[in-house]
Amino acid sequence: MPTYVLGVSALYHDAAVALVCDGVVVAAVQEERFSRLKHDASLPVRSAKWCLDRAGITADQVDWLVFYEKPLRKFERILTNAVATFPRSSGAFPRQMRAWLGDKLWLRGNLCAAFGVRPERVLFSEHHLSHAASAFYCSPHAEAAILCLDGVGEWATTSLWRGRGSEIEPVAEVRWPHSLGLYYSAITAHLGFAVNEGEFKVMGMAAYGVPRFRAEMDPLLHLEPGGGFSIDMDKFSWHWHASEAAGAKLQAILGPSRFPGTPFTPTAAAGEGSPREVEECQRYADIAATAQAQIEEAVLHLARHAKSTVGGDAICLAGGVALNSVANHRLASEGPFASVWVQPAAGDAGGALGAALWVWHSVLGNPRGAAMRRADIGRDTPIARSREILEDLGGRPEDVGESAPERAAEDLAAGRVIGWMNGRCEWGPRALGHRSILADPREAATRDLVNQRIKYREPFRPFAPSVVAEAADRYFDIPAAAAAPVRFMLATAVVRDEAKAQLGAVTHVDGSARVQVVDADSSPEYHRLITRFGELTGVPVVLNTSFNLKGEPVVSTPVDAMASFTRSGLDVLYIDGLRVERPK
Amino acid sequence: MGVFRRAWLTVASEFSWRVPGRPQRLLAAFSLAERGSMMDMLAAVEATTRRDMRRKYFIHALDEGRHARIFADRVRDFGQTGRADAALEDSGQLVEAGIVGGKTLFERFGEAKFLAFVYVAEADAVEQFNVYLERGLPDPATQATLRTILKDEVFHVAYSRAEVEKLRKEGHAVDKMCRDLRMARVWERYLRFSRDVGTFVSGIWLTILYFVVLAPFRLFARTEGGGWQPASAPRADRLAAARAEG
Amino acid sequence: MSESSTPSATETWLLRFGTAGALVAMLGRGKRWWMVPLVLVLLLVSVGLLFLTNLPYLAPFIYMVF
Repeated sequence: MPTYVLGVSALYHDAAVALVCDGVVVAAVQEERFSRLKHDASLPVRSAKWCLDRAGITADQVDWLVFYEKPLRKFERILTNAVATFPRSSGAFPRQMRAWLGDKLWLRGNLCAAFGVRPERVLFSEHHLSHAASAFYCSPHAEAAILCLDGVGEWATTSLWRGRGSEIEPVAEVRWPHSLGLYYSAITAHLGFAVNEGEFKVMGMAAYGVPRFRAEMDPLLHLEPGGGFSIDMDKFSWHWHASEAAGAKLQAILGPSRFPGTPFTPTAAAGEGSPREVEECQRYADIAATAQAQIEEAVLHLARHAKSTVGGDAICLAGGVALNSVANHRLASEGPFASVWVQPAAGDAGGALGAALWVWHSVLGNPRGAAMRRADIGRDTPIARSREILEDLGGRPEDVGESAPERAAEDLAAGRVIGWMNGRCEWGPRALGHRSILADPREAATRDLVNQRIKYREPFRPFAPSVVAEAADRYFDIPAAAAAPVRFMLATAVVRDEAKAQLGAVTHVDGSARVQVVDADSSPEYHRLITRFGELTGVPVVLNTSFNLKGEPVVSTPVDAMASFTRSGLDVLYIDGLRVERPK
Repeated sequence: MGVFRRAWLTVASEFSWRVPGRPQRLLAAFSLAERGSMMDMLAAVEATTRRDMRRKYFIHALDEGRHARIFADRVRDFGQTGRADAALEDSGQLVEAGIVGGKTLFERFGEAKFLAFVYVAEADAVEQFNVYLERGLPDPATQATLRTILKDEVFHVAYSRAEVEKLRKEGHAVDKMCRDLRMARVWERYLRFSRDVGTFVSGIWLTILYFVVLAPFRLFARTEGGGWQPASAPRADRLAAARAEG
Repeated sequence: MSESSTPSATETWLLRFGTAGALVAMLGRGKRWWMVPLVLVLLLVSVGLLFLTNLPYLAPFIYMVF
């Protein structure tokens, strides 16, 4: 009899479900792809139903449902913190208690009611353990150091583990309120971006600046001789304020915060904005650059400690901070490990998968299985339904069948921007050729076109390239230790000087690119598409950004795709073997 | 009920549009509502088995998405870029306002009642905008915005009314459905009001509890220091440890 | 999801009592034993909050009295 384990993450951000059968991932998907609410944190009932339907089972046949953290320990931390920060936490306390005493504390009953599972089958992992499991068990390494870095779990904000075979042992942790994730989020908020959304924008902005605020900001994030770090909590308020991570004290150090929505026109884009505006924007970029440098050095510092404590040649990363692809590049280039592996869904969604795998391997004592080589383990749509939807919505689809990749490459070479929906959704925030908007990467003007007419993003934000594995080295300098993360677009690389002129739309202002290396085994259609594009243009690289409009989750179904296609400036839409062209 | 509703709108519109700061909040609320409607209509496209209705729901959804953007642009005209962006992008606002969350309207109502809901909601929106325009509220630029959107809303009323009439011919008790839906909308407004009252007063009680009960415990609690600390060893009985919520 | 596995109202309250007991026991075993009295007060408050979460329409009437 097969054993089904359903992993669930929810209630904070990025609710998700992962269904594992005898250690093999059947399906994993985020709730936002169903509800169409970005970062939907509600109990992922729709995701669970889809995963169970995919496996052909009902809730009665789920052997174990495991939640990705311990709710009572989390409540303990929240309450202890409220007392420790008395009376400043008076503003946050009522909202926290309403949420916990009215709902979150009673999670076991809520899980049983929502998912139709008996209470005796409900288990609880731990937050950082779920992250660690998602990284280690999905990696190809029999032994590795595991580093988890995020905002906070129950108590830990950073944790170090030793992974060996089927076992994951805790080694050390850094505890609340000292948090790299929340530090970066505080800077994100200071720079006028939304927390849990804007961190990637800070990374993009950092490339326009120089880290000239080290003297002011290094005392805020202190790297300790013992290999850990601490935060000067006197300057921050995330541990007591209802909504702000930092306030007047940080502004006294860094200057006024950036008002949300203010245009960003630094020196590199000079010619726009008054001299004062340009100067202010440069200050923001320099703050971003400083914070980014600090995070990179903190990650290196923690990794060196991991090497000296746990040893080995490989390190596995998870937790939201592990999505900082620039830091991952630095770790791979300068760090002490020969191999870096990062969980594609390194944020809280990945905890669902980690929790399920932890139950299978560690609790039930089963040996390791194959490593995760593909991220397309999410939702898909039968082609017959796709065809019916497109016909009904007036798309007049053309059946191009197996030649879809080659036709798409021809469209790209003709200067068209295409929506590419192929197979199952990706697991994690990166679009990897299954739910992607693709364009010709060669001219810088394409970047501006895609930003302005399709994604409606801030102009300073870069786009990422996908390159076929055989040609990757020709265009990008990728450290050997980053060979795994670049397959999932989780580490940046340096664009080679001789290639920059050919990759104008995907080379960031500092000469880097968050590249995806595509191999034929794990993404055959996407590999064919890029290969054909290379045959037509001489450059086997495409611009790849997620297939979604601003403020919306990545598209999941043909309806989502048509809605985004119709409301944007995309020229052509591909859904598996069906092609829809925008009427001229 | 139509008379009472119109009277309420007439009175409320004075407050909504004339009090400084309120117009931009109301326009942002309209943007949010239109965005929620777009999501409901797209969910109907996914869920319906009636192929003839898919394209109608889809066009309706595109209209609502465009309206959300138009209202947000008007909010930006007031210099409130942050509020406009939040209305268009912040999913949390949709949930907090009770516009989305849990089951979609189509899942809750089924096809027939969903169509009746669309008709009732669009007709109410047309009436609401007409009241504002008849009273010359609020300002010429916003009136122009409302007139633009009203054209589409009138079309939405027309097509949904036609579908509702088809349902009547099929034997559905559409008049009762529409009455029940109007009552349900009033009830939901009362529930939202009740939740707001509950939130406000429970906030007061919890704040009192905070200052009275927590204060003595302050002596025992400390903020943790930074740096590496040893992690707790896992329990030997893994399954027992996994069953524990804490 | 299966309707037959959904807990009844009685089962739900029993589960909540179990959770409350687990919380008190966890704190009592550890170094934060001093929080037990505080948590007991909060658990009493939670009864009221749960009541209002499930029956929100009563809130205006209850708060008129309290």
